[in-house]
Amino acid sequence: MVPTLKGRWATRILLFLWIGVPITFLFSLFVAGPRSPTLPLLGWHYDILPFQILSLLLLVGLILDPVYFYFQQFRWEKDWPFAFQFFFTIIEFVIVLALVWWGVLDFTRPRSQLHTTDNYLLYTIHFACIFIPSFIALLGLIQIFMIRWRFKSGEWGRM
Amino acid sequence: MVKFPILLDIYQRGEGPLKRVERISLPEAGDYAIGRLDENQIVLDTPEVSKRHALLVVREDGIAISDRGSTNHTYIGDSEVDTSPWDGALPIRIAQFEIHLVPQTASGAETRVNVSEENATRAVAAGSTAASPAPAPRGQSIEVALNAPNAPSEMRFPRNVFKSEIVSAAEIKSSEYFAGEYTYLTVGGGLGSFVWADHLRIFGVGTGDIRAIGDDVIPYANYQRLCRNSQIPPHERLRSNSQSTPDNIWGFPGYASRETWKDLKEFRFGGIKYIFQVFGEASLAQTFTPRSGEVFKSIDKEAQRIGWRDMLTYGRVVGIRKTNDERYAVAYRVPEDQARGGLRERIMIGKFLHIATGYPATRFTDDLQAFKARYPEEARVFNAYENHEVVYRTIESKQAPASIVVRGRGIVASRIIQRLYEARDKNKGITIIHQMRNPIGPKEGYKYKGAQRYVYNHIENQAFNWPKACWGGQLLRETERATPEERVKIYEALGGTTTADRRDWRNIIQLGIGDGWYKPVFGHFETLELVKTDQGPKIQMKLKARRDQPAVEVVADYVIDCTGLIGDITHSPLLRDLAETYKLPRNLGVGGGKIGGIFVTPDFEIAALRNGSGRAYAAGQITLGGPQPGVDTFLGMQYSALRSVDHLAVLGAPNVSLFGPLRSFTQWIKWCTNAVP
Repeated sequence: MVPTLKGRWATRILLFLWIGVPITFLFSLFVAGPRSPTLPLLGWHYDILPFQILSLLLLVGLILDPVYFYFQQFRWEKDWPFAFQFFFTIIEFVIVLALVWWGVLDFTRPRSQLHTTDNYLLYTIHFACIFIPSFIALLGLIQIFMIRWRFKSGEWGRM
Repeated sequence: MVKFPILLDIYQRGEGPLKRVERISLPEAGDYAIGRLDENQIVLDTPEVSKRHALLVVREDGIAISDRGSTNHTYIGDSEVDTSPWDGALPIRIAQFEIHLVPQTASGAETRVNVSEENATRAVAAGSTAASPAPAPRGQSIEVALNAPNAPSEMRFPRNVFKSEIVSAAEIKSSEYFAGEYTYLTVGGGLGSFVWADHLRIFGVGTGDIRAIGDDVIPYANYQRLCRNSQIPPHERLRSNSQSTPDNIWGFPGYASRETWKDLKEFRFGGIKYIFQVFGEASLAQTFTPRSGEVFKSIDKEAQRIGWRDMLTYGRVVGIRKTNDERYAVAYRVPEDQARGGLRERIMIGKFLHIATGYPATRFTDDLQAFKARYPEEARVFNAYENHEVVYRTIESKQAPASIVVRGRGIVASRIIQRLYEARDKNKGITIIHQMRNPIGPKEGYKYKGAQRYVYNHIENQAFNWPKACWGGQLLRETERATPEERVKIYEALGGTTTADRRDWRNIIQLGIGDGWYKPVFGHFETLELVKTDQGPKIQMKLKARRDQPAVEVVADYVIDCTGLIGDITHSPLLRDLAETYKLPRNLGVGGGKIGGIFVTPDFEIAALRNGSGRAYAAGQITLGGPQPGVDTFLGMQYSALRSVDHLAVLGAPNVSLFGPLRSFTQWIKWCTNAVP
């Protein structure tokens, strides 16, 4: 990948909308949902927690992107190998876990309900469900739909 | 100024070295026709020479050569010429003949004048004289005669039709030359044309609206020839990335995953390493590059899918003009066997024009040119891009010491050294002298914005010929937005000759230095002489003394020049004529050149050729120094094709869609299932 800072942000938001949101929606409904309160009107068991985690992941990523871009400047090719992308996405998830551990989401529900082993396992499965398709998208799925993406440093739209 | 008489040596290439068959003298200015028929002034009577092949125009102020629409073309050195001035530095080549200009100081007593000054008298050359060491081969007569000078050049095609900057479409359509009108016309017929036509087809245009005019039926023919000569056979890998796919406009699946898939289908699990290469490349794994044979096969398949044969017109383009109805007229010649009642000249008209004619010539450094001119019988110096199999054949077949000078530090030099290393399996007496302009220390690599290029063995290392971000990252952005002057700075910082960081190549160098059969030398050669030694004739070279080291003398059997191809568009008669006629702006020179390629907009439009609603685009090497650095690469051609076809879509050109996500996806499915777009 040869992203610019704008391209990194654009691609991250693209993956959030295309892959993160739909998968999290299904995840909240079927995997995290059964132990959750029922949604009014619809009557579904729906847990909002995976969406909070997804939003945190996006936020941490958007903040770290300028840091990656800074370090990219020291690379002669001005590129970002897939291996780096893979590694740092996992780092981002670890940061999100740490933030949750430190109580960033404590305002959402009682601590005793939030910090359970079951929940942390759920976060990890949820992350894997988003991360794997997102990474495959980066490897080539995006350009099947957006032919100009790879020439536009990761930004959307026309040339 | 030309001094008369002019002496020309005519050599013939048979098996082995060139043989001089004749020396002729031209006593005065005039037009000397060359061809197979008796009516020519210089008769070269073999089937490969056309009846009226070429015209040598000799004037007081210089000599010029014009091709007269011959089947096998006319060359100066390795560059094909239409009409070109000739200074004699490189020979004129016609079929198996070479015409050398004898230096004026060497004239005089040894001259054998066999040309009568009377008009239309012929003298048949007979045997050899003291001045010609090689006897004329039997059965081969070269007749020389002198006729009254005539000046047909203004009357010749296409100048007889292309009389002005803007030509009348109606006149062309009613002329005998007219060969049809199309919406999209691409000139070149090579990979650049192919990738452009591929985009058009996938964006919605039918085969009936597109025509490509080119010299070869196979779009990669020229590229394959260069690969083969520079020792990249089908199983060897190119310097190109996995997602640079001239057969697939999306770049997915790339060549790495295709290679993996192919291996897995045959239960070879080693293939997974290619995917890992792409995953970890540059930092954790060696960069993946595809096998040349696989790339060619993939292009064959795509050519079949999009109907390339239906769109291709076989011919050589000789002129382009704007028409008075906002289109373009393209003049070309077809081979003799396609002549219509003896007429081989054609003109096609197109609304949207695309020019992708590629590298005009191979480069020969001056000292090697001089050597070739002095010792034309000696096949000892070669450009790596020309056929030089004779070198390997000779050195592999004997068990005697043989030393080869490899000039240049690029990727081709690396590959040639690898080939010579392989030749050492058969002859341990082979030694390599690697001549480079100057040494480069481990910390002296090029620098750009906080990063520096890695150097190994005096050679800068880089995966491809530009840093990766030149094909779609921040470096492409910076180049595109820069002013022409800023572009030169960027090109200077990022350019330079590099080779790929391949482990096997490094091992070869290390082994060679250790065992003493590889030696780097630095500097320019001052002299190249042929000397007689105990082991037969050899090339003796003296390297200029440098600040830190004395002059070096080298004796070698062969020189292989790996310094590349010439990108200067004025070596192409077609482009020179186009640039002069329409005063096309040129890019500023990059990479040591004084002047760059044709100036194009970021959409790869040649703005100076705009003709009302008609549009002209360019692609490939002829646009070097412009908005995108990697123009002569697979991915670069995909980029320029996408830019220009997108531009056409916005203009509302017929049948070109805007190619949004849905169409992109459905077309990709068609590609996967090998369905017609």
